[in-house]
Amino acid sequence: MFELIGGWLQRPNYVAFVLLFLWGIYIMVTRYNLVKKLIGMYLMQTSVIFFLVTTSAKRGATVPILLSTTEIIQPEAYANPLPHVLTLTAIVVGVATLGVSLALADAIYKKYGSLDEEEILKRME
Amino acid sequence: MTRHLPVILFLLPLGLAICLPLIGIRRREWCRPLAIGVLAAMVPVSFANLAGVLQNGTIHYDFGGWAAPVGIEWVADGLASVMTVTLSLVGLVCITFLSSVLFPYLGSRIVPFYTLVLLLIASLTGMVFAGDLFNLFVFLEVSALCAYALVGLAGGKALVAGFRYLILGTFGASLYLLGVGYLYAETGTLNMADLAQRVPPLVGSKAIAVGVLFMFIGLGIKMALVPLHGWLPDAYTYAPDRVSPMLASLVTKVALYGWIRIMFWVLGAHAVVYQIPILFLVGVLGAVAALVGAFLALSQTEIKRMFAYGGLSHIGLVLVGISLGNQTGFVGGVFYLLNDAVMQAGLFFWAGAIIHLYGVRTIEDLVRLQGGAGWMSGALVVIALSMIGIPPTGGFFGKWYIILGAVEAQNYLAIVAVLIATLLTLAYFLKLFEKVFRDRSAQQPPLMREVPLAVRIALGATSVGVIVLGVMSDHIVSFLLKNALPPGL
Repeated sequence: MFELIGGWLQRPNYVAFVLLFLWGIYIMVTRYNLVKKLIGMYLMQTSVIFFLVTTSAKRGATVPILLSTTEIIQPEAYANPLPHVLTLTAIVVGVATLGVSLALADAIYKKYGSLDEEEILKRME
Repeated sequence: MTRHLPVILFLLPLGLAICLPLIGIRRREWCRPLAIGVLAAMVPVSFANLAGVLQNGTIHYDFGGWAAPVGIEWVADGLASVMTVTLSLVGLVCITFLSSVLFPYLGSRIVPFYTLVLLLIASLTGMVFAGDLFNLFVFLEVSALCAYALVGLAGGKALVAGFRYLILGTFGASLYLLGVGYLYAETGTLNMADLAQRVPPLVGSKAIAVGVLFMFIGLGIKMALVPLHGWLPDAYTYAPDRVSPMLASLVTKVALYGWIRIMFWVLGAHAVVYQIPILFLVGVLGAVAALVGAFLALSQTEIKRMFAYGGLSHIGLVLVGISLGNQTGFVGGVFYLLNDAVMQAGLFFWAGAIIHLYGVRTIEDLVRLQGGAGWMSGALVVIALSMIGIPPTGGFFGKWYIILGAVEAQNYLAIVAVLIATLLTLAYFLKLFEKVFRDRSAQQPPLMREVPLAVRIALGATSVGVIVLGVMSDHIVSFLLKNALPPGL
């Protein structure tokens, strides 16, 4: 048990990722306000991005760019660029999703005059 | 030249989707013919691609000239080419239907509407060809974003349904991305062919097991597998009548195709995680989905909602087919998937047409049809026969091969599940037929005398489509057996 917790404490980033992810889901599930739901959703998406970046983190590493053609390539000296590229794309996808969702929330507000889910369901009847 | 056909197939709708907002500023009336034209152009290109793949084998297309494990790769093999042929044919019929005069005029919204539809088709094509897990994620999200917007287009209740779809869909996409992250962290690659080499020795590791679980839950939400289907009935019921055929027939099916890809081409057909064979798990999920979906469909009163639940049960049947672990079952499942795309499109064409022709939304109101309206009842009968599974329609042969596969695998529970789902399907279509053909209590003239041409084309094409699939089933199945089998099955 202590070993397990000790192992977690050595990887604070992953603990933070799990907390953020679950926190996001918790907000999405428990809040009735549509904008708060979106905040939870965005938190969850961001936590996944945080996870991807964490997996590629390396102490004392540098950007993977060769300065000259004669330089000796040392793979251990560079950070892995691929998760960062994935992250970049995932951020773009997340922003697009947020844009569409805010547009939908706005249209719902204009139609039903409320952002509270229960209130909207009541007015839908 | 044939090497570039997959990319051309993708660029056709994407290019027009990008140009359309510019064209639409001046020439709004051009949107419709241009969109139909591009989809019509996709049909011969997809056939040419299929012929090219048959002749020269699988096409591996490396983007930017970077070879596969490093660069992003598209793979056009037999299965992907067959899927794109289906996609472009069904897409063409759907886009003909949605531009019918039957539906209210969109005004200035016509330009973004066609842009979204084309973008949806383009992203689905991308999903079919993607040979890279992350590329699949990107196309999955692009198609989902288009679908959210198209659902919300109807306004009113559709907005709330679309919002719910968006929340759940994004949750699914995040889980999928997380699963991809786990797999990448464990294997260091995202390419499916490369993963297929590296995953099997690691399949006992926790990271792989959890990553695969996350990916399947994510895709399960996207394809509305039964315990995760919460968004689908509302979204498809309230979506604009003109787009629900396209959503129902293509979006969930392509997500299911992604599931098949990952299960058979990445994990391998006989992967066992923690002593549980994955195929067994998928079979159980499929059987549950087939039964629960059909059972829920039986208890619906709204026509579109009934068809939406019917679609859930058919997703389950496809999963039952592919989970049998032999060639017959897999091919039966894939053949049923193709049939299902056509049948779902046909059913939602029918539902959309009767809403606008007769003002009928619920089964109670169907008496207004009075069995007359040759086109409507004829198409309903043909597509319903296929949904139930009566020869000579495609639905029968799909189920037939699934059952043959189950007999071969001696999996009698699967046979029972398929038969019960068939009976339930028969029951809910009998409910429809009862109202359409038997009940003569209320006489009421239709809102529109003539069935519009586009609706006739759409209904005719899907009715002929299921019969052609049935008559040609022998050829299609032997073709799939030869060209579309996963490695190691």
